[in-house]
Amino acid sequence: MEDILTKTQRGGGSTEDLTDDQLQLIVFKLAKEEYALSIDQIKEVVQTPNISRVPRSEPYVKGIANIRGSLIAILDLEEKFGLISEEQKSDSQQGKYTLVIESEKYKMGILVKKVPNTLTVNKANIDDSSSIIQYSDVDKTSMIGIVKDGDRMIILLDMVKMMDHMESNSLIPQK
Amino acid sequence: MTEKEKKYQEMFLAEAFESQEELNNLFVQFEKDHDNEDTIETIFRITHTMKGNAMGLGYDGIAKLSHLLEEIFGHIKQKNITVDQELYDGLFKANDKLQQLLFGLKDDKKVTYQGIKTKLEVMLKKKLEDSNGNEGEKEEAPPSPSAPVEDTAAEEATPESEVKEEADTEDKKSTIVFSDQISIPISKLDGLLNLVGELIIEKDSIIAKNNGSSGHNFSMLHRITSDLQYGIMNIRLIQVGFLFNKFNRVIRDVSAIEQKEVELELEGTNIEIDRNILKIMSDSLVHLVRNAVSHGIESKEERAKTNKKQKGKVYLRAKNEKDTVIIEVSDDGAGIDAEKIKKKAIEKNVISKEIAEQMNKHEILNCVFEPGFSTSDEVTAVSGRGVGMDVVKRAAESIGGRVEISSELGKGTTTTMFLPSSMAVKGALLFNLFDQVFAVALSYTEAVVSYNKEQIRKTSSGLITSYLNKPISLIFIRDIFQMEDQSMDQKIDTRYTRFDQLPEDKKIDTLIVNHNNKMFGLVVDKFLQQKEIVEKKLEKPLDSNPLLSGATIMGNGNVCLVMDVASISNILSKELIREKVVL
Repeated sequence: MEDILTKTQRGGGSTEDLTDDQLQLIVFKLAKEEYALSIDQIKEVVQTPNISRVPRSEPYVKGIANIRGSLIAILDLEEKFGLISEEQKSDSQQGKYTLVIESEKYKMGILVKKVPNTLTVNKANIDDSSSIIQYSDVDKTSMIGIVKDGDRMIILLDMVKMMDHMESNSLIPQK
Repeated sequence: MTEKEKKYQEMFLAEAFESQEELNNLFVQFEKDHDNEDTIETIFRITHTMKGNAMGLGYDGIAKLSHLLEEIFGHIKQKNITVDQELYDGLFKANDKLQQLLFGLKDDKKVTYQGIKTKLEVMLKKKLEDSNGNEGEKEEAPPSPSAPVEDTAAEEATPESEVKEEADTEDKKSTIVFSDQISIPISKLDGLLNLVGELIIEKDSIIAKNNGSSGHNFSMLHRITSDLQYGIMNIRLIQVGFLFNKFNRVIRDVSAIEQKEVELELEGTNIEIDRNILKIMSDSLVHLVRNAVSHGIESKEERAKTNKKQKGKVYLRAKNEKDTVIIEVSDDGAGIDAEKIKKKAIEKNVISKEIAEQMNKHEILNCVFEPGFSTSDEVTAVSGRGVGMDVVKRAAESIGGRVEISSELGKGTTTTMFLPSSMAVKGALLFNLFDQVFAVALSYTEAVVSYNKEQIRKTSSGLITSYLNKPISLIFIRDIFQMEDQSMDQKIDTRYTRFDQLPEDKKIDTLIVNHNNKMFGLVVDKFLQQKEIVEKKLEKPLDSNPLLSGATIMGNGNVCLVMDVASISNILSKELIREKVVL
């Protein structure tokens, strides 16, 4: 399993000269939309290892994988956010790469199809999300805002807060 | 010396040596800063405890010397005496003597102590007189914490020769003592155990990669890793007596509240078990012992009526059986009335009336472990604190153990816990399901059987077959796990669909599991092999899955999920009991 993040860092913005009002993000595509996470929430990006499926879990929980000796739950956010249709689900090849997120509370991986990029943005360019109508799927606590970078609109998420929210709804459907 | 006395002596010595060591440090602190009230208070407390313990066990010398130290610090606390170099020296010498006395006790040698004791007594007396003279307004010596000074001073009548002889030995340099034991925080051992777990996984992976190709059989690697693993598991073992001994106090307190006379008897205190397992089970044990006293043992009047001894008895027993440690809590009390339990269970909707009629006494008694069941309606100070027997059961099952209860009316009740002696490695059986490898702990598996299709019958309550001439239910794990790809989703409309779809000549691999004396068959796709696994707990966000107890990493790097038979059996029996068809 090779670490891919270092490569993307070289291709993307440089980490060193980050000023106080700047934020470094990892940008990845889910279906056709661009999403981003703050780089502190991401431990590494790896090629998706073999995933063992977990019985009676939500469809977007793809299973559990061994990443450097840790057991990591693998999530498909495209499915979670309802970004793909039923037919696409069956024929879409699974994400080739996994973004590994590790906080004190959670360890998990998010499937992405392409190697993510880094992007340095000014905090001023992040619109807070309060003006957007919130759907229940992405709770307003987990969506930090929209990043504008030229024509691009990137949705900035907070995975830890999102997991807190999902935790209360549980990943295991209760019978 | 009896076994019991010996044990108490050991316990006393362990604590006393520690206290003596602490006193040494505290005296040094005291010498540096003799106004620090915390230090003085701590010294006072330690000497007081030591005096009490030594007196209780009849260790005269230690008791008298620590009593004197206590007295001195009592006066220092009340600022009755001034401290000076002479006093410091005396204190250190007294402490050294204390150490000698402890060693003397340990090695069964006589140690004289009168010299230093007399010296300190004289010093104290003089100091008290001095300060009384200086501060006229002060009363005479305020009542000392215990014996008046005059009394101890009277003991001065020790032969001069002994004092002299004493003085010689006092000149010896105080020695630094190294204990032959070290104490390690458990977290360090946990870390080591985790590392060994990873090592085993890595070893399996190396062997899997090289299998057959090099002709190397890695026997050395096998041996070293397994020795290492058992070595570390061994360090973590502690004697159950460590926990059992704490129950003397629990019994005393509960019987005082309940106004009963109860005696605790311990057996098998030298049986060893993993420290973490004992920790997980300790609350349950407390609960069971309290239960035995408050619900098991009858009141004095009742015992008199039934010709029982007035003093009730509670037993805590431990024994070994292969890799299992069995802990029993029993009492010679009234026993449990199965009919009462049955009525209650039906009332509380734990079981249905029809099912209850078919259950034998043992099964009915074990209903007390079901959630929502508690035989006592009134809440007392002892029981009924919201911790029911179901918590005991859950605790035991969380570590791969089980618990059962048996009782004879009028004679008593016994609760038995079957616990693994170590948590690290489990024997497991690997099987295939949905083209994926799963594991199940061997502790729950009774047997593995391959049935022919014609050996299985369809009945109104599902599939059944026979095992050792007894009918058992068969359940397809596929139906429980529901992991079909949605694209391949074939409607499973009846409870036989899965069975009917199988080709006629297909062997049906079945895992016979036994949980709470309920036996049933779980059908898997294919059995693979038996293997020792290092089980890891699932972390958030998957930790709440009731079907899995954890996961392990295989030699090829894949994750293998470990099926939780205890929890599956609980789910199944609940669904069956409520007359619901599984799924």
